[in-house]
Amino acid sequence: MLDFLTTLINGLSLGGVYAMIALGYTMVYGIAKMLNFAHGDIIMVGGFALLIVCNATGITSVSLIVAVVVCMAVGILTEILAYRPLRGASPLAVLITAIGVSYLLRSIAQLAFGTEAKYLEINMGTIAIGSFRLSVGTLVTLLSASLVMVLLTLFINKTRTGKAMLAVSEDKDAAQLMGINSNRIIMITFAIGSALAALAGFFIILKNPFSVNNTMGAMPGIMAFTAAVIGGIGSIPGAMLGGLALGIIETFSNSVPALNPYTVAIEFALLIVILIVKPTGLIGKKKREKV
Amino acid sequence: MKKTFLKLFTVAVAAVMTATSFVGCGSGEGFAKDKYNIGVSGPLSGGAAVYGEAVKNGAELAIKEINAKLGDGETKYAFEMKDDEATTKNIATNFSSLYEKGMQVSLGCVTTGSCLEYKTYAKEKNVFCITPSATGDQVPENADNMYQMCFTDSNQGSASVEWMKRDNNVPTSTKIGVFYCNNDAYSKGIRDNFIAAAKTAGYTITEASFANNADGSAPTDFSAQVRTLEKCEFIFMPIYYTPASTFMKAAQNIVADTAKFFGCDGFDGIDTAIAGFDINTIKQEVSMLSHFNSSATTGKAADFIKAYKDEYGKTPIQFGAAAYDCVYVIYQAIEKAKADGKSVPADISASDLCNILKEVFKSASFSFDGVTGTGIKWNADGTVDKQADKFVIKAQG
Amino acid sequence: MNGFIRYFSAVKARFKLKNYLTYFIFLAFILIFAPLGLTGSLKMSTEFMLEQIGYSIVAAISLSLVVGFLGELSLGHAGFMSIGAMVGALLQNKLYPSLSASSPFLALVIAMIVGGLAAAVFGFIIGLPALRLKGDYLAIVTLAFCQIVQTIFEQLPFFGGTLGIANAARYSSHKLFIVIFVVALISLVAINNFIKSKHGRAVMAIRDNEIAARAMGVNVSFNKIFVFVFSSFIAGIAGVLMAASKNTVAANAFTYNYSIDILVMVVLGGMGNINGSIVAATLITVLNISLNNVFTGSMAAIKNIVYALVLILIVIYTNAPGLKSFREKHGFGVYWSKFTAKIVKLFSKKELKQDPAKEKEFGADWSKVPTKVEMDAILSTDLTPDKSYVSDKPAPDGKTDGSGKGDK
Repeated sequence: MLDFLTTLINGLSLGGVYAMIALGYTMVYGIAKMLNFAHGDIIMVGGFALLIVCNATGITSVSLIVAVVVCMAVGILTEILAYRPLRGASPLAVLITAIGVSYLLRSIAQLAFGTEAKYLEINMGTIAIGSFRLSVGTLVTLLSASLVMVLLTLFINKTRTGKAMLAVSEDKDAAQLMGINSNRIIMITFAIGSALAALAGFFIILKNPFSVNNTMGAMPGIMAFTAAVIGGIGSIPGAMLGGLALGIIETFSNSVPALNPYTVAIEFALLIVILIVKPTGLIGKKKREKV
Repeated sequence: MKKTFLKLFTVAVAAVMTATSFVGCGSGEGFAKDKYNIGVSGPLSGGAAVYGEAVKNGAELAIKEINAKLGDGETKYAFEMKDDEATTKNIATNFSSLYEKGMQVSLGCVTTGSCLEYKTYAKEKNVFCITPSATGDQVPENADNMYQMCFTDSNQGSASVEWMKRDNNVPTSTKIGVFYCNNDAYSKGIRDNFIAAAKTAGYTITEASFANNADGSAPTDFSAQVRTLEKCEFIFMPIYYTPASTFMKAAQNIVADTAKFFGCDGFDGIDTAIAGFDINTIKQEVSMLSHFNSSATTGKAADFIKAYKDEYGKTPIQFGAAAYDCVYVIYQAIEKAKADGKSVPADISASDLCNILKEVFKSASFSFDGVTGTGIKWNADGTVDKQADKFVIKAQG
Repeated sequence: MNGFIRYFSAVKARFKLKNYLTYFIFLAFILIFAPLGLTGSLKMSTEFMLEQIGYSIVAAISLSLVVGFLGELSLGHAGFMSIGAMVGALLQNKLYPSLSASSPFLALVIAMIVGGLAAAVFGFIIGLPALRLKGDYLAIVTLAFCQIVQTIFEQLPFFGGTLGIANAARYSSHKLFIVIFVVALISLVAINNFIKSKHGRAVMAIRDNEIAARAMGVNVSFNKIFVFVFSSFIAGIAGVLMAASKNTVAANAFTYNYSIDILVMVVLGGMGNINGSIVAATLITVLNISLNNVFTGSMAAIKNIVYALVLILIVIYTNAPGLKSFREKHGFGVYWSKFTAKIVKLFSKKELKQDPAKEKEFGADWSKVPTKVEMDAILSTDLTPDKSYVSDKPAPDGKTDGSGKGDK
């Protein structure tokens, strides 16, 4: 029982990180309707910003704020330069520019910071209850992910800007006709998504102090996409749920040595099963199609 | 309007072409007819780029030193490295373009998978290769032009078990844990041989593994694997230093303080090559069986580490040391051939040079003292014959 | 005999050079390079580059079927190639030693068929969820499929584990690229014929509007699955060709990153544009290889920056709605159609007549089946006349209103 509980906590801890990444991803994904393959690399930008400022000042909160600001700036910049010219073009064209932006950020980071591993420890300590250990980082990750989820849901449903986002996601042209500046709304979406990417970078570093690297965003990007789709496209609680599900499946499969080599296969096979049973994701809305 | 577009387009194309040709001249030493040209293919971008870059730096440092040492009339050396992202995708074009540019001798590839692809082309064209880091047992098989500067996987696996048995360093009652990467040829190769040797020696083993991501980088979370190995007293980790450090950091509060982490040559760099990381924050003992220790303070290794630091501003890892040795051994072999009365002109063909070098490497009197070992000799099958030492990177406590 | 003459004259009458121009260019390409290759006067690096271009073309046109014509995003095409490559490599290793003396390429042909069929089986399996899932949900399933295939191949010793299978077949590099290009031409003909067939039109109807297509009596399930099976069959062949050009076939060559590489070719070539995919596959392969040759050593990171910038700029240039008017005047397509028109003129005696299908009516080009995006744009056009419009007809009374169809 203790074994099961510890594995579950470990799974939730990893799932919390995935959920955090997926929440940022799903903002852009759900509202701008684009597969943002560069989201992972925004996380990487945040990771480097954290590393540099943390090494310079030693204050975690300051570096987190700087990382959020830097990521928002990079996110808005890529939106204006690379994605805005393609507004109204085929979504796949935007996908390709996103891939280009991803390569670009990754290579610039390689040139600027080298390929060596870097170490940045943000220690939050552990709570021990008997033989049961719980890292404070895990708790913080899970609590922040839940908090972000609640805040995002409230923001989207209750505020003016949030409602405008919903309108833009539903029908960009109609929203424009109603007096919504869809370019501005999408820019805000990118800013929020990138800020969440910086947070995700923080939680990845919290989990593994060796993770700052120019390719650190590659796998999180794919995982975020997967989690967001599993949860249901455009659904914020869905992204959270999808992330947690991924983390738990991965950890349970990893905890059985015989299954270790097949973890990726098991994880993705279960995803296929979930999608076949629920074709619009865990909390996805079924869309009526019109002719 | 049409004319302006055409003009713009032509100007852009011309600009790109000038820029690329300029860059082509500017990068590295560049191959030349009056030099001995050494080529290699390895990861310079993607998740494994750090290993390829170390090989490039080590080899370039050796070339620079040798060229400085050589007199005016003597043939100098040139070096070029192409990116393969640690996959087989670009190997064919990398090899052929290096060969057509005038490559006479090669360091093969940095990673095992790429090297297996590379060696067939090299064998067809009879190009001498000595790889600094492709440890796979299959690398020198069926190719008499292929030599290794590193130990083979089977060698490292069985040597580790031998060390464990010697003087009862690790008693058979010890609970052994093995933590490896299940989709990396290096890690899996050592693990297979280690398990086989350890089982015959009577050890009981618990295993856990992880899979690298598609770009060759390691995953971030090992908590489940740490749980599997939490009762182990001796954890053998045939993996590179980056995932190893992640594992140790996650495991140090969970496994016993008296447990020992033990690795192979991939461990090298765990105390020196991670910016900002202090190995002393790990409670347990960390040691490795390797041909090179990047915190060495004596001998050739120390001189190399100092020269490397002066040149690149960072500490070398064993990839760099092995590449440095590869270049020096080629230099020494060519010098020996010249001393034996063979003619080795600067524009010698790759095939002729290969035959000469093979003869030198096979001769009983040829041995090499480098930073990764002294009195290094090569077996007839191309594998290296040298001493692996056990280095304690960090004592317990 | 008479029948034959009638047949050929009928063919001659219907023959339009324009429709076959791609094939002729392809054939001319093969005819130019084949003698150079056979006489050994090509550089080794050129031959390897041509091999890579060849199998990239096959992979790109197979993915183009799913993405461009069926309109489903697939991120797992490398998985199908992987299956073809692995099965093909195992089979070639069995067959090649006994066949190499008499007919060296027979083993390759058999491997292509078997490898293609093996991939097609999995295409069928992945086609099934495609009936239930749409858009990005399906994209995730294909991505998952690619990951599963890679993991399983890497772990099973039967497929050589992480190191993969050593390829026992040694085809002469002077000849292999010719074979690859011939296979590419055959797949091109097959795909083009499929697109022009009844099923091809049905598939495009599904892409544009699935419900409408179903209402018109198109068997949606059959056609969707058929596209997946056909596309993965050809992708499997591409995998076998890729495997044949390598010394070792390892699963880690077929990651989802490789799927994305192929997707880039298809999207850059233009959705639903087979010729575009071919051009893009060629250009991207050449670009990648030449960048890799130029940016060596410590410049390797710059290589990726250049590639990324080229990618972004090309996509913005070819797709940005703001540059539409500029493209219509000076785009690549304009020069291409002028070029083809000139070639057609050069070879045809008759005066070039305006293709009736090309005639513009209501401002729309009916020769092109509009893509979904275009269709939406057309449908959303506001057709009510604005106030400045003054009808020259007298105000109609109720009975003669409209076209008359509305009366029912």
